[in-house]
Amino acid sequence: MRGQRHLVCRASELPPGERRIVRLGGRSIGVFNVGGSFYALHNGCPHKGGALCEGPVCGTTVDASFGYGRHGEIVRCAWHGWEFDIATGVAVADPAVRARTYPVVVEDDHVMVVLPRARKEPDDE
Amino acid sequence: MIDCDVHNSWHSAEVLLPYLPPAFREYLQRGELPGPRGSFPHAHRPWLHPEGFMRYDAVPESGAAAGSQYDLLREQLLDRYDVDYAILTGDEAIEASTLANPYYAQALTSAYNDWLVHEWLPADLRLKGSLVVAPQDPHGAAAEIRRLGDHDGIVQVLVSSGSQRPYGDPFFHPIWEAAAEFDLPIAVHLGGQGGLNANPIGCGPTTFFWETHALLCETGMAHLASTIAHGVFERWPNARLILIECGVAWVPPILWRLDEDYRALRKETPWLRRLPSEYARDHVRMTTQPLEQPRSPEALWPALDDIGARDMLMFASDYPHWDFEDPRFLRLPETWREPVLDGNAREVYRLPARDRIAEASR
Repeated sequence: MRGQRHLVCRASELPPGERRIVRLGGRSIGVFNVGGSFYALHNGCPHKGGALCEGPVCGTTVDASFGYGRHGEIVRCAWHGWEFDIATGVAVADPAVRARTYPVVVEDDHVMVVLPRARKEPDDE
Repeated sequence: MIDCDVHNSWHSAEVLLPYLPPAFREYLQRGELPGPRGSFPHAHRPWLHPEGFMRYDAVPESGAAAGSQYDLLREQLLDRYDVDYAILTGDEAIEASTLANPYYAQALTSAYNDWLVHEWLPADLRLKGSLVVAPQDPHGAAAEIRRLGDHDGIVQVLVSSGSQRPYGDPFFHPIWEAAAEFDLPIAVHLGGQGGLNANPIGCGPTTFFWETHALLCETGMAHLASTIAHGVFERWPNARLILIECGVAWVPPILWRLDEDYRALRKETPWLRRLPSEYARDHVRMTTQPLEQPRSPEALWPALDDIGARDMLMFASDYPHWDFEDPRFLRLPETWREPVLDGNAREVYRLPARDRIAEASR
């Protein structure tokens, strides 16, 4: 995978349902374990720059009769409450709005977030 | 050109007597009225227009009420401006919404509708009618829509903007249901600010007529928000809300605000599948009169353009009222003229294309 890998923690230290806010390459990033899969979102909301990854990890209403679902798949921005799909960064209410996502790789129990290299560096390893 | 707000009036509300059931005929003949004999039963608002409501030049020589004589209406409006269709909105009939007795209110609006169908619509094919209903009786209103909703000359259901609660509220859903059955839009016209409808101004009663008149757009805001939030346009995909005489300049910022708050708290209204502004663009129309007048006339259009208002605005003159607007003096961006003066209304009211009219009259 192109880019620079940044170690976050051991996979065993971030069990399902948990999240961690880390500072990597000068960015604040939320790393989430949703049902055993790891995802990383930029901790700045596309709406007004709020602490997107620090709000509740939750579910939401999924049908017209107030059915509740997707528990653990949604993060609600800590400031204004916009809901985002943790896996894709897409805003639930308006798919035209997306939070920035970063690829995550897990190797040898190490969770790593892949960030783009600084522009001046040559491409990839 | 289509004029979406034309007030056909009467010189005396006693024109309704032949159309009232006997029990209510006596109310109108012998019962208490808000004015002299012949005045229409309604609770008056606490703001009185200091000059009366009418264009002085629209009063017929006989001294009858402005808007009460077809010949003068034809001369001053239909022929003068080459109007293809005039959407009649009555005059005092929508004020029945202020009465506490829903049975009397419904009887009065039914009588108005029969009077409209028998005495106005046959006069001229250019006249199209609005079915006035008493919203304080949603089931009675629905029955009235089912009674007359398929009449050729009826193009919409009409209620006053003053109401007991916003029109998206489930209390009113029987009216939306019946209107959808007949593919009729529901129009909300400024009025009905009194009696049962006690909250026309958000923070309590204002003082002067002009001050109040300028602020009555508040009711339009609430009906717009409520109709979208309660999912009326999801439940009845052919439902359309038409805001008449409620102003237009406020619509973009209100839609922006609704979109913003919906994005945060979508979970409260899980029946919605699109942004409020997207429902509005497809299902809500606003008539132009009285069009706001910024210091720089062109300041009006960028915000309206942002919400797609070129496809949402529909021209209205409000003839023969005091705040009449002359279509020849309406300043519109050039590319907006055709849709606003004609196309948008033709589509929302399902009126035949212009060439088909010419064909029919040949």
